[in-house]
This record gives sequence, C-alpha cells and structure tokens, in this order.
Amino acid sequence: MFVNSLNGIIYGSFLALTSLGLSLVFGLGRVVNFAHGVLYALGGYFFIIFLPSLGWGAMVFAPLVVVPLAIAMEWLTIAPIRNRDEIYTLLVTFGLSFMITGAIEYLWGTETTLIKPPVIFQGTVDILGNQFPVYRLFASALSLLVTGLVFVFIQFTAVGLKIRAITDDNEMAEALGINTRWLLTSIFGGAAGFAAFAGALGAPIFSVEPEMGMGIIIDSFLAVILGGLGHLPGTAVGAFIVALAKSIGGGYIAEWAIAVLFLVVAAIMVLRPRGVFGRGRIA
Amino acid sequence: MAASPEVENLVEDASKTRSREVATRVLLAGSALLVLAVPFLGASPFFITLLTEALIFGIWAMSLDLLVGYTGLVSFGHAASFGFATYAAGIFAMNISADFFLSTIVAIAAAAAVAFLTGLVVTRLSGIAFAILTLCICQVLFQISVVWRSFTGGLDGLIGVPLPTLFGREVEPGEEFYLLTAATLIVCYLLLRRVVESPFGKTLLAIRANEDRAAAIGIDVRRHKLVILILSWMTGGVAGTLFVFLKAGANPMSLYWIESGNILAITILGGIGTLFGPIIGSIGFIFIRDQVTTMYRAWQFSFGLAFVLAVLFMPSGIAGIAERIWRRLWPARS
Repeated sequence: MFVNSLNGIIYGSFLALTSLGLSLVFGLGRVVNFAHGVLYALGGYFFIIFLPSLGWGAMVFAPLVVVPLAIAMEWLTIAPIRNRDEIYTLLVTFGLSFMITGAIEYLWGTETTLIKPPVIFQGTVDILGNQFPVYRLFASALSLLVTGLVFVFIQFTAVGLKIRAITDDNEMAEALGINTRWLLTSIFGGAAGFAAFAGALGAPIFSVEPEMGMGIIIDSFLAVILGGLGHLPGTAVGAFIVALAKSIGGGYIAEWAIAVLFLVVAAIMVLRPRGVFGRGRIA
Repeated sequence: MAASPEVENLVEDASKTRSREVATRVLLAGSALLVLAVPFLGASPFFITLLTEALIFGIWAMSLDLLVGYTGLVSFGHAASFGFATYAAGIFAMNISADFFLSTIVAIAAAAAVAFLTGLVVTRLSGIAFAILTLCICQVLFQISVVWRSFTGGLDGLIGVPLPTLFGREVEPGEEFYLLTAATLIVCYLLLRRVVESPFGKTLLAIRANEDRAAAIGIDVRRHKLVILILSWMTGGVAGTLFVFLKAGANPMSLYWIESGNILAITILGGIGTLFGPIIGSIGFIFIRDQVTTMYRAWQFSFGLAFVLAVLFMPSGIAGIAERIWRRLWPARS
C-alpha cells in the first residue's frame, strides 16, 4: 500500500508536468493537443539517441529538439484552423499522433528500450523498511520542481499575467493589445518542451517504446478533465488523483488498474462535471 | 461542431429539383444492385473476401456517422462498439449457437446495454470532453479484453468461431457470406436513412447545430443523445458480428485506439452526414491498405498524413465533393 502510494506520487509528478502543458495550451487557444503524448515519446527517443554522445546533457538537449518541431507543427496544422470549432484541433492532432507514432516505428523500430539511471542515482534508499530506487525520488522531485516553476511563472510574471488574461477572456485580452497568436505559438512550444523533458526524465523509470505517448496522453486527458478543462491547479490535483487511483487500485486488483481508474473518473464526472474545483468548462 | 457548409448538405434543400431526387434514387438503387451482383461478375475469391471486409467496415463507419455527422458527437472510441460485439457474438457462437440471427441479436443487445451504461455518463458531455471520455472507455474495454483471459482468450483473442448458420443451413465462406454481408449493409443503410430523415433525425441536426438552443426550445438533449448513442452502438454491433464470422475469431486489437482512429478517419474522409460517404471511405481504405501495407512500411505515417490533410482542406470528405459535382449535373431550376 505504502509503496503503491509512493509510486503513484512519482507517476503523478510526471503526469502533472505533461497534463499542465495540455491544460495551458487548451486554456490559451482552445487547442486540444492530442499530439502532446507523442511529443513526450519523442522526448524519450531523442534522449536515448543523444545519450551516447552527450551523456546526461541529453536530458536538456532532447526537449530543445522537440520544441522547434512542435512550433512547426503548430504553424502548419493548428494555426490555419484556429477559427474553426475546437474539435478540429483534436482531429488534426490525432492525425499527427498517427503520423509521428508511425514515423517512430519506421525509423527506430517497435522494441522497448530501458536505460540505466546515471551512476550517482543508481542506489536504493530505505523508506520505512522498503528499498526504493534513488532515481525515482530524484526524478519525481525534479519534475515537481519544474511544475512548481511553471506555476510561479504564470502567477508572478508579466507574461504569466497575459496568459491568465487570455485564458480568462480571449477577445478582451486581444482588445487590450496582447498578441495572442504569438503567445499561443510560444506556449505550445514550451508545453511541448516540458512534455519532452518528462519523456526524457522518465526514460530510466518507464522505458521508451513507440506507444509510450498513448498511455500518458490518456492519463493526462483524464487529469485535465478531472481538474476542469483549462483550470491549472485543478489539472495538477487531477494528475495526482489519476496516478494514485491507478497505482493503488492496481496494487489490489493487479491488471484491473485502468478499470478502477475509469470508475473513479466516471464517478467524479457525474458528481462534479466541471472538475474537482467546479471551475472548468464542460464542453 | 458549429454550423458549417456541410450542414447545408444535411438540411433539406428547398430548391432541390424533382429530377435530381429521382436521379439520386436511381444511383443508389444502381449501386445496391452492383454490390449484390459482384459475385456473379467473375470476381476472384480474394477480391470477394476483401470487399466483404470493406462492406463490414462500411456498416461500422455508418454507425459512427450517426454520432459525428448527424449529432455532432465526435467519438474517439468507436472501436468499442465493434470490438465489444465481436466478443459477444463470438462467445455466443462458440458456446451456444452459431445461428446468424441469434448471434446478431445477442451482439446488438450486448452493445445496446454497454452503450446505455456508458451513455449515462458521456451524454452529459459534448465536444472535446465527449471525445476524450469515449476514448478512455474504449481503452478500458481493450484492457479488459486482454486481462480477462479465461473469457476472452487474452491477447490471442477468440479462436475457432464456427461458420454462421442461416435457417439451419451453414453459410459458405466466400460468395455466400459476401451476399449476406451486402444484404445486411443495404438493410442497415435503408433503416438508418429512415432514422436520419425522420423528425427524430432532424432533431439530432438541431442538437448538432447548437446544443443550448436545442435545449432552449424544449428538446430533451440528453435523451436524444442517449438514443442515438445506443442506435449507433447497435449498428456497430451488427458490423462486429459479421466481422467475427468473417475472421472466424475475435482479437483485442479490434478494441485498440488505432482502430478507433481508423474508423473515425474513414468516416471523415468519406464524408460525414451522408451515410453513403462512410461506405465509400471504407471501400477505399480497405483496398488501399491491402495494396500498400505489403510493400510499404510507412503506412501508418501516410494514413495519418492523409487524415491531417483531409481535416485541413477537405472537411466535407469525398461525398462532399461528389455531391457538389452531382449538383452541377442536376442543377436546381429557378
């Protein structure tokens, strides 16, 4: 139970990072980025590709490669349909995930790669009588730190204020002279960078395989829905609910974890259709 | 989805001339006859089998069109309706009776039951939340089909589903089964046509155009969504039953997200809100995939690309373009 909860918290801290990007992009531009998961996967792949030559600096370098890719993606496919209904962004990015998953399998094959954590983090620590890998704790702390920094950025900087203004009322923000177009593109790139970073950071824990983006995108979507679409603190809470439901539920009834998770989500959706804080949108 | 040019195709065109209506009927009847005549035109057994699969996908894509095209509910987990029915029909046929009608009824009833249960949750939603939650439900069913080995055969799926029987006689694979599939497709098309042209169907269009306004004029939006969801799953269930008999087995991959993506792309590429378009999309998909996958590894990439391009530049699909040409041929007289 304790180990399951701890693993849940670790997974939750990764999920918080990916779902936050998803929620930010949705709040800003009403863009539902299904391809967020494959950007996470690309982060993992670029990490293992750069690892032999760059060492652990690859963890920083992998996101830097994914960001321009994501910006190009936004320019070519999402910007042209901004005036259409938001479901179209979901359709387009769904097609993009098909493409990128296909490209990953084509270029790098379908096998699973598991890499060892760096030497200094290879040991285990004793927590209440359970041996726990150090790297998991380190990675989870790091992703929580990055998540915290994102919140600080949004809450306390001038750009963050603009982001909140756009999320609140897009037209009004534009009328006040905020360049929403430019901001959306950069936030899209930034969110992609965080997703790729999570993919790289998680590589020694969750392994790297072509379908890795699919698992994380479904959980991230659940987190975003639970938190209320576009509501950032709700998203973070949602991420931990999803991760804990999965790991604790999975601890009791093994492979049925996802069914338990869905029951939890369905129950919350019925009781609080606008998310845990009741402040998101329902459609 | 907001009102867009493709809505015009759905709403009865006041200036539609009598001659165009007659011509459309002749065309539909002609295609139905052609579909039924294929085995007698000297087609190879391989071609027949491939076309059988395409027509099964056509039934399935039509069922998705009911949601996406006519109600504006974009389901990202429509593999659930099909895959679930393959298991229901397959398990029934293996253990109790391989009678085609009985198996179909069992699969339809099972699909309707699941649609009702999931509908209690998903009909509260629309747009993106609906899309995502349907995807999640489908993933749950996929997971269950893999995990519940004693009942579903795990990753191997069901193996050795017997041939279907019709009025106590075994249906031969190949031409006979093809004719059964083609007849089922035509019946499904005619029934669904009746549904979408009924007052109920028009109400769905109102919900699609604007849910809040529909509710404001007194339409029970949730109940309508629930009914069409169940109907859609039932139709998907028919397709699933045919599929399990065609393949003589069921596989968890029928429930996988890629399959949901395939059928959604087929429906949109074919042309939503037309019922006919998704059938064309299915035939195109099955035949192109057959040609391409054997010699070309980047199939999934290319298909994704085609889907992206279609959403960007051709949202009304093949049927939308065909309809525009058709209107040129039979212009409305003023």
